[in-house]
Amino acid sequence: MATLEMTYREALQKSMFEEMDKNADVFLMGEDIGRYEGTFKVTKGFFPKYGTRRVVDTPITEAGFTGIATGAAMAGLRPIVEFMTMSFSILALDQIINHTAKIHYMSNGVVKCPIVLRGPGGAAKQLSAQHSHSMDGWFAHVPGLKVVCPATVADVYGMLKTAIADDNPVVFYEHPRLYAMKGELPDDPNFTVPFGKAQILREGKDISLVGYSLMTQINLQAAELLAQDGIDAEVVDVRSLLPLDTETIYASVRKTHRAVVVYEDWKSGGFGSEIHARISEDCFDDLDAPVGRVGGLNVPMPYARNLELLAVTNENDVVAAVKKLL
Amino acid sequence: MSSTSGSATADKPKSEDSSVPQRPSEALSKDECLELFRLLYLARYFDVRLIKEKKRGRLRGTLYSSHNQEAVLVGSLFGLQANDWISPIHRDMPAFFLKDIRAGWRNPERKGMSIEEVCCQVWGKVGSPGRARDNWSHIGKRDAKIIHSTSMLAGTIPVAAGVVLADKLNGGNSVVLTFNGEGSTAQGIFHEAINFAAVHKLPVITIVENNQWAYGTPTELEYSLPDFARRADGYGIPGLIADGQDVFDVYDKVMQAVEYARAGNGPSIVECKTFRAYGHGDHDDDRAVRYREPDQVEKGRERDPIAVCRKKLIEKGYLKGEAAKKFFAEGKNAAEVTDEDFPPEVVEYLKEGIEFALKSPVPDEAEGAMWVFKENA
Ligand SMILES: Cc1ncc(C[n+]2csc(CCOP(=O)(O)OP(=O)(O)O)c2C)c(N)n1
Ligand SMILES: [Mg+2]
Repeated sequence: MATLEMTYREALQKSMFEEMDKNADVFLMGEDIGRYEGTFKVTKGFFPKYGTRRVVDTPITEAGFTGIATGAAMAGLRPIVEFMTMSFSILALDQIINHTAKIHYMSNGVVKCPIVLRGPGGAAKQLSAQHSHSMDGWFAHVPGLKVVCPATVADVYGMLKTAIADDNPVVFYEHPRLYAMKGELPDDPNFTVPFGKAQILREGKDISLVGYSLMTQINLQAAELLAQDGIDAEVVDVRSLLPLDTETIYASVRKTHRAVVVYEDWKSGGFGSEIHARISEDCFDDLDAPVGRVGGLNVPMPYARNLELLAVTNENDVVAAVKKLL
Repeated sequence: MSSTSGSATADKPKSEDSSVPQRPSEALSKDECLELFRLLYLARYFDVRLIKEKKRGRLRGTLYSSHNQEAVLVGSLFGLQANDWISPIHRDMPAFFLKDIRAGWRNPERKGMSIEEVCCQVWGKVGSPGRARDNWSHIGKRDAKIIHSTSMLAGTIPVAAGVVLADKLNGGNSVVLTFNGEGSTAQGIFHEAINFAAVHKLPVITIVENNQWAYGTPTELEYSLPDFARRADGYGIPGLIADGQDVFDVYDKVMQAVEYARAGNGPSIVECKTFRAYGHGDHDDDRAVRYREPDQVEKGRERDPIAVCRKKLIEKGYLKGEAAKKFFAEGKNAAEVTDEDFPPEVVEYLKEGIEFALKSPVPDEAEGAMWVFKENA
């Protein structure tokens, strides 16, 4: 099939345009997304095309607009909510946890809540303690939410389509350091990527590098470095945290007999710890070494560049963790 | 004490204590008036220099200019006592060195940050009180009674209220000025904090720097009031409106609110009407040119606070002859203005701060993981 080349950001836009054209119930809500066309320019072109009915600029009120979008979803629309950064979703956690995520269960399955909560999460560069949060693990802790963290251009396109079509609340986790990344996607408006299916982005036989979002790209770079030392690493891109495709992860581990889980969040209690625990529990007999774990330093993100570089995970950290296990 | 509610947009808080004068600025001496003028230059020059430093590639990070809004900072801080608290946010960088500056620009004892500390803060060097843990406005200094801001808009108001609650419980009588943009007032926490402060009559003065834009969003999409100050009606507290271009008017309104709070009457909101000169941050300057009408920008900037102050000083007879014509910084963008447009002591002050910061080291790597917790004694 023919492919298109574009950036991660452009793939997001293409996906949203196509879904909004198809379904008039889909609408956007967020701060500075309409007239201003988005602080990260993800919603560029939407306000001119769809106008005030379908592109709603909000006051600076994360808790408020998340609740309002939740209500709109309960009443039958399909809102896509943008957080200017995922760090600001912290202000909306009560609405998300107590309303968005619970309504279907609490209404005995009567009221559905098809909402997409999207935005960039994780550390960009020198945005320091309050703008650099990894929120994926916080959300993936909550029953009732689906959480996806696309790492490639094709995935961000195809998974957003799946997110919009899903009848459940979906936290759609983008990464600020991926927006400008170029990649390919199939030239097919019906292309989608299902949730709950991990993928192998690089085959290898010596060790499995398991990650998602930006860390998948870091793992690919680490695999290149390891190859120079004759180590053949397999890169498993988890893609969706809830639902989690343990089968693909386990199959890889059963092949390589070693694994390192890599995640950007604080190392203690991040979602990588959950993946680590699952592998340890379920693949114990297949493992030739304890499962490794690479996570962020357990500190508020420091501003000074030299300290920040120590706190965030890079490919060399992954290489070092791998070498400890071989 | 009877209720003080219903004062709405009244220019003057309705207080039992009618000794609060309507125009505290009339009591300012000639020297004090001239100092206000100089401080406007100082705040402006700080901004101008940082913009230039970034253009030269010597500075990183986002710059939230306070150009055209200096009278809000200078006027609101000038009348504070040394032991009063402030809680500035992203657009208020000059507040960090303007606090208690009447005690002497270079006085090491004063309860404000030195220009060296502020520059180290901006450059991410160890000389900042936070030793580059965080940057720009995300820093405070307890001894100087400056509360650090966070990125979460309006999130500082409850914290500031808590600080003066503690002072009050300890028998003190400090007040706190919290600074906020008009867009930030949409946050739920804004309501929670001010409502609490109103109920408990905490000495919290919320300065709303109404520069008519919140990022790319105009005020009509942020709140639906002709004058934001009327929000105060809902809390039963005074809501004052100040001409944010006029340092004397800001001083008057903030001092009324401060004296009202100090007398035990509780919080006020002071809306300072002003206009954001550039983009939201310097990363947004190019886009701002497109999303704002040139007419609006021109109108919003036509009353430069330096020019407004100059005119008043001439009227008062404090600036005459040659002195009245010197240092025409007003109306000029950072790119147009030169050092000759500023009093030499202002240029010198900044130069010292910047040179100090440039020479200062970055933090040692070992510091990265320190101070997440306080070691128990
Ligand atoms: C809770 C929260 N949401 C969003 C942001 C992103 N943000 C930073 S500044 C800003 C606009 C603030 O506008 P205003 O309060 O009017 O202050 P100004 O920048 O105009 O001084 C926004 C939306 C934030 N910092 N915090
Ligand atoms: Mg504003």
